[in-house]
Amino acid sequence: MSVMQEVAKTRGASRETRKGDGKAAAIFLAPWFVGLGLITAFPLLASLYLSFTDYSLLESPSWIGIENYQRMFDDPRWMQSLSVTLRYVLISVPLQLMAALGLAMVLDRGLRGLAIYRSVYYLPSLLGSSVAIALLWRQVFGADGLVNQVLAYFGIEGYGWVSHPDYALGTLMVLNVWTFGAPMIIFLAGLRQIPAMYYEAASIDGASKLRQFFNITIPLLSPIIFFNLVLQLIGAFQSFTQAFIVSGGTGGPVDSTLFYTLYLYQNGFKSFDMGYASAMAWFLLLIVAGMTAVNFLASKFWVFYDD
Amino acid sequence: MRATTTRRGRTRAAFIAMTAAGAMALGACAGGSSGGPGSDSTQAEEGGDGDGVEIRFSWWGSDDRHQTTQEIIDLFEEKNPGITVVPDYTDWGGYWDKLATSTAGGDTPDVITHEERFIADYANRGVLADLESLDVDTSEIPETIIDGGRVEGTLYGLATGVNAYAMMADPQIFADAGVEVPDDTTWTWEDFVKVSAELSEAAGDGVYGTQDIGFNEAGLSVLARQKGQSLYNEDGSLGVDKETVEEFFQIGLDLQESGGSPDGSRTVEIQNAGPEGSLLGTNAGGLGVWWSNQLGALSSASGNDLELLRMPGETEHERTGMYFKPAMFYSVSATSEHPEESAMFVDFLLNDPEVAALQLTDRGLPSNLSVRESILGDLEAADAKVADFMAEIEDEIPDAPSVPPNGAGDVQDIMIRINSEVLFGSMTPDEAADAFLSEVEAATS
Repeated sequence: MSVMQEVAKTRGASRETRKGDGKAAAIFLAPWFVGLGLITAFPLLASLYLSFTDYSLLESPSWIGIENYQRMFDDPRWMQSLSVTLRYVLISVPLQLMAALGLAMVLDRGLRGLAIYRSVYYLPSLLGSSVAIALLWRQVFGADGLVNQVLAYFGIEGYGWVSHPDYALGTLMVLNVWTFGAPMIIFLAGLRQIPAMYYEAASIDGASKLRQFFNITIPLLSPIIFFNLVLQLIGAFQSFTQAFIVSGGTGGPVDSTLFYTLYLYQNGFKSFDMGYASAMAWFLLLIVAGMTAVNFLASKFWVFYDD
Repeated sequence: MRATTTRRGRTRAAFIAMTAAGAMALGACAGGSSGGPGSDSTQAEEGGDGDGVEIRFSWWGSDDRHQTTQEIIDLFEEKNPGITVVPDYTDWGGYWDKLATSTAGGDTPDVITHEERFIADYANRGVLADLESLDVDTSEIPETIIDGGRVEGTLYGLATGVNAYAMMADPQIFADAGVEVPDDTTWTWEDFVKVSAELSEAAGDGVYGTQDIGFNEAGLSVLARQKGQSLYNEDGSLGVDKETVEEFFQIGLDLQESGGSPDGSRTVEIQNAGPEGSLLGTNAGGLGVWWSNQLGALSSASGNDLELLRMPGETEHERTGMYFKPAMFYSVSATSEHPEESAMFVDFLLNDPEVAALQLTDRGLPSNLSVRESILGDLEAADAKVADFMAEIEDEIPDAPSVPPNGAGDVQDIMIRINSEVLFGSMTPDEAADAFLSEVEAATS
């Protein structure tokens, strides 16, 4: 039966609406399901299988059980990559959210030309994970880069920030904080939802701006903060491009920017160790899922839904 | 109007967050590890019926090389009607990812450009064909160069050309500073450190004696050979002792401490910047070690007439350490449906003087001696200098190092990382040598 007939039939026969709707929907959804199956679900399951094998890409995989997973805990570079990623996530995400909220509150005052400011501050979010910006970053924080030129003006001699093991990760954190646009837009929408009468009532009662912020804005915005937090945490765990470009794919200097995903990539495509790389990917999934679960559990204690 | 965040709003927010979280978390593992188990069936070539045969040729490189190679392909197709060569090219960084995944997918290119650090990985896994069983004329290529493409006795790759790891010097910087360019037939590693420090001192602000040398295992290979050792043995095991590795890292540290080379962070930055951003390329240094084929790029970046010098220490130890490295290899896929046509193409690439006239030394100084002879007159100044230099040192090179083992592609990254540890002071050369040996051991076993 053709789609058109199916649709026509559903329209006419009201009694059969439910059943007919299902079929038509299934037909329209089919292309998407095929895509999901082939492009997402199949590779996903394949990688789960591969994570229990020794697979060099060039030969067929051979089953080795959980050896890949055990190996991680004896691998100092894996530990290093986990530590780098955790530091990156735990420091840059809160800073990024603070920047986003701060700016959203400034913009929420109903400035003239708000649309322009909103777009301008959103731009870094679009560009942030691109190769071009990573290259730009390497220039700006290089030994002869913009940052050092400004410092030199004040008589300070800087380092090659991106190529010094103590500072390289810091520059990537700054890059992540700079891409605060996406959470900012969401905060902005959230702030608009808070009724002005609360603030009016509070100021009549003599509550200071600070008090209003902590007792009205934060609680009413907490579902939005939670949403942004979950999203940005997951995104930050998956960061790859910046470190790949800035360090030339090595995670250097001295593994200081060896993100988890970068080490995973190195194992898979440089050392031809796809089995180990797959195991690492699944372990990352566990970490991210675990962190998200903890996040949801913890949310009961601080996220306020204004029922 | 105030939007009451109702019960519904709450569930919706939670739902959105959860779906987004789930999707992204799934993405986390899908992103890094796509690619299923390899299938055995190769794709059916189009136009297989009748006289049309299609072979695929993969290579890496810059735009210049892509254009030249396309001209070479056109020439081949013109001379061999009925054979179509499909180009398959990327830059160096993406090349190995692409080759590995297409091999895993059972879609290996027929003619593959290979490199010495990766060829053993592919050869040992049955991906490459034995070239001696195919019809490729190698009579004009010296035996020592052919042997460079053997893995455990079987010929898997034929060298396109050769390069040498050599010291490059900018005579202008030396002259401006009033320091003499060292005599490369007698200088020792200690002389190298000394003259670098001297040059840094005399040349003044922002100009250094030399770029750091610890970012490429080729330098260690030269030092090891000078001491009668070898980075890798014939069987692929490590053939260099701890003392030599420690000495190598110590040279880098001495250079830095004496001011002969820049500090750690500047060194790392320059190292990432390629020939154009190097000390020699930016007129900010007098010396640097590079592969000989990079002289052209360095010279045009610096605008000065750079010179090639022998590596330090060639007369200091037991023997000479410099060697000819096969620039690239041509290999043929073991699963190619058209091995004969593929071999014809490789033969054409190596032996046809018209090919060499088009690409000159872009794939190294041609390994085919009569072809090499035929292009000498057409070379630009820098490339002609390289050809002269190679001819000069040829008699001093007694043998070729053996092909690096499986996993050798990781060794440069290990070298870069451990050398950085030394330059930033977090490891002593002694610790670095231990770390290097154990990591390379693990990577190549």
